[in-house]
Amino acid sequence: MASRIRRRGTLITIVASVALVTASVAASPAAVQAAETGRRGGVLLALIGADPPSLDPHQESTFANLQLVAPLYGTLLQLDPYDYPKIIGDVATEWKVAPDGLSYTFKIRQGIRFHDGSPLTAADLKATYDKIVFPPAGVLSIRKNAYTAVASVEAPDPSTLVFKLKFPSASLLANLASPWNVIYPKKYLDKDPNYFKTNVMGSGPFKFKSYTRGATFEGERNPDYFVKDRPYLDGYKFFISPETSVRAAAIRSGRAYIEFRDLPNAEVEAIKKQLGDKVVIQTTPMTGQFGIAINNTAKPFNDVRVRKALTLGLDRYTAGRVLYGITGLKLVGGLMRPGSEWALPDVDLQRLPGFWKDAEKSRAEAKRLLAEAGYPNGLKVVLKNRNVKLPYQDFAVFAIQEWRKIGIEVEHRPLETAAWFNDGQNTGNFELIIAPTVEYMDEPDQFLGRYVTGSTQNWGRYSDPRLDDLFSRQARALDHAERQKLVGELQKLVLENVYYMPGLWWMRNVVHWAKVKNYVAPPSHYTNQKLQDVWLAED
Amino acid sequence: MRTYVAKRLLLIVPTLLGVASLVFVIMRVIPGDVTLLILGGDQAGRIDPAQIVALKRRLGIDQPLLVQFWTWLWGVLRFDFGTSLWTGRPVVEELLIRLPLSLELAFAATMVSVLIAIPFGMLSAVRQDTWVDYLIRVISIGGLAIPSFWVGILVILFLVLWFGWGPPLEFTPPWVDPWANFQQMVWPVATVGYRYAAVTTRMTRSTLLEVLREDYIRTAWAKGLRERAIVIRHALKNAMLPVITLIGTEFAFLIGGLVVTETVFTLNGIGRFVVDAVAHRDYPVVQALVFLIAFGFVIVNLLVDLTYAWFDPRIRYR
Repeated sequence: MASRIRRRGTLITIVASVALVTASVAASPAAVQAAETGRRGGVLLALIGADPPSLDPHQESTFANLQLVAPLYGTLLQLDPYDYPKIIGDVATEWKVAPDGLSYTFKIRQGIRFHDGSPLTAADLKATYDKIVFPPAGVLSIRKNAYTAVASVEAPDPSTLVFKLKFPSASLLANLASPWNVIYPKKYLDKDPNYFKTNVMGSGPFKFKSYTRGATFEGERNPDYFVKDRPYLDGYKFFISPETSVRAAAIRSGRAYIEFRDLPNAEVEAIKKQLGDKVVIQTTPMTGQFGIAINNTAKPFNDVRVRKALTLGLDRYTAGRVLYGITGLKLVGGLMRPGSEWALPDVDLQRLPGFWKDAEKSRAEAKRLLAEAGYPNGLKVVLKNRNVKLPYQDFAVFAIQEWRKIGIEVEHRPLETAAWFNDGQNTGNFELIIAPTVEYMDEPDQFLGRYVTGSTQNWGRYSDPRLDDLFSRQARALDHAERQKLVGELQKLVLENVYYMPGLWWMRNVVHWAKVKNYVAPPSHYTNQKLQDVWLAED
Repeated sequence: MRTYVAKRLLLIVPTLLGVASLVFVIMRVIPGDVTLLILGGDQAGRIDPAQIVALKRRLGIDQPLLVQFWTWLWGVLRFDFGTSLWTGRPVVEELLIRLPLSLELAFAATMVSVLIAIPFGMLSAVRQDTWVDYLIRVISIGGLAIPSFWVGILVILFLVLWFGWGPPLEFTPPWVDPWANFQQMVWPVATVGYRYAAVTTRMTRSTLLEVLREDYIRTAWAKGLRERAIVIRHALKNAMLPVITLIGTEFAFLIGGLVVTETVFTLNGIGRFVVDAVAHRDYPVVQALVFLIAFGFVIVNLLVDLTYAWFDPRIRYR
């Protein structure tokens, strides 16, 4: 296989190298194990801020789902917990990509059992991916649009899984490493494809123990887990508390050991001050950004001069300094995370409206554009928002006071989540609306799909054929450099026309007691949640 | 008396029907769509309109409103409150997890309130304009002015900062482990009880002061009765009617109205359940909870009305 790739020499480096990868799940975490020897036993006590809508990750998109159930399931591939964004196997031991990029063949580890004792085979994976990619009527699949390249999923024998593609896809492996794509046993899916909304049956390092909505979620050690001597923990238990200060107090009192999502800096400082070396703070960039959608179909926002004035009016560099302490919002960037391989270089970014370093110059230009568009005395706008303080409302308050400096008076209208979704996504009943983008990894298909015509995530409701074309081409571009160039062009197109206004990229504070060992916080609160290698130095 | 009770019980039916209809309509006219919430999670989901239609069908909310209302009402008549749109579990099951906690909190806070408020209210009235009265008034005004959730957060921070200790995060019923239950419940009970006692103390003081100025009390003093007999036997009973009304109303409120306190103390009670259900547009849960809370209010009010006759024998029920 590898020799064929070399012979042809046509497929790009990334696919060829990935095709040659042979991943061993047992080997990869071991390679990074700390010098300390893991200790068996103990229950990890964790905190989480919300209940999940349902228990089925295929149908959900909230951390409140994934953090609770990820330890209960296996996935085909996964992001390396210790080497983001490297893709390694979970139940797949190795895989090959056809030279034309139209077929991906995976070898499935034998001997893995679901928690009911039945064996996990390629047939279960086929049933799982059929549910995700080709959901039957009445079955929801939130992420099926990420697999439009997939023509079929086949399981020719119990240890082989094949994905046949309609066209080459630059992001297929990343999408197959999605932490949301947990493997379900076929026999349960055959009986009821919605079975897993309210039930759990996985093959992960932990077995489901109990769930009391609004209170706790528990898993216990799976003694038959396929990775030898894993997991270390006897179990894990999440306490569900929506109040940030209460979660922080629970860490301070030792009632819980870790909060996986994020705590604001003020709480982190207080915890550190009180507990000193007893706690560890892992601060990482986050694959999430808080920005503002502009309704491109409503006057005066269909005028690019007004949109440009709005983005020029935001001093993002000051915002990053001011808001970081209270919200975790810090980094100035485009549509892909700053620091990632897909980010626009600073030199390019700083040429775009809203990203100039000189705030006064930006404001002067914003006023000039407003006057040119017929608003010499400024204008009044309504900014809709979600009624969640952190960081939605803090970010909005900053934007409002910034816009006032260029003569734009803003009415801030926080809405309950349901109404926020309804107005932003469903009806388009807004002028400006706070609209974050959060994904599990830095993958252009995931982050940029929302800018395409007709996407349900395209809250701004714009349509630009050049943008659609660029998205389609980058999604098929197997050459990394070419894809980077297309991704850059797409970002510039969105930002120059101000179809959407990115705000700031999030930083994530994961706070845990020092006795929690071997947990590395990745730049997403969706990944590295299986907990198979985590251990407690003491109970 | 029997006729009165029967009449009041019969009146419960149209009252609850009115409440049920109102909640049913309100939940459907406010903006927000449960299907979008289920599909969207905490970010904009990639939602196919066909999936929204499929979910609506599966949840049964694609039916005409009248059909939905009748189906729900018919279920209620059979004590079947339906299934949560979010969890897929019967609403009654969800309710039974939370009701013991809310009832315990409501009963305990009421006990704290009654035990503190009535003696202190009496003392404040009898020793009007003395330092005792001033002290009680300052403390009770504090209870009215400071929001319970803030007191709750201060209590938790105080415990954490000074003792490195926080209340347990998980509810343990008293019959399972009374000590664990006490450790968790004593703080919210004290927090809620403080506000509740403040209200009741003020009410006890003012009504007792009013009664103490009545002619028959002056007569009692003139006859040379002891203060204790005058206050407890003659004045207090007559002053208690508004206080009992207040205690009844507050008790009913406590069962479903302690959202913020429950959040602060991570208590999985009815209050949080109501708010979560409204935010999630979980129609069957909201309808069931409002229905049951309204039922609780009506019953508590009836019981309060029936106690009036004991306090004031002049009251006759027709």
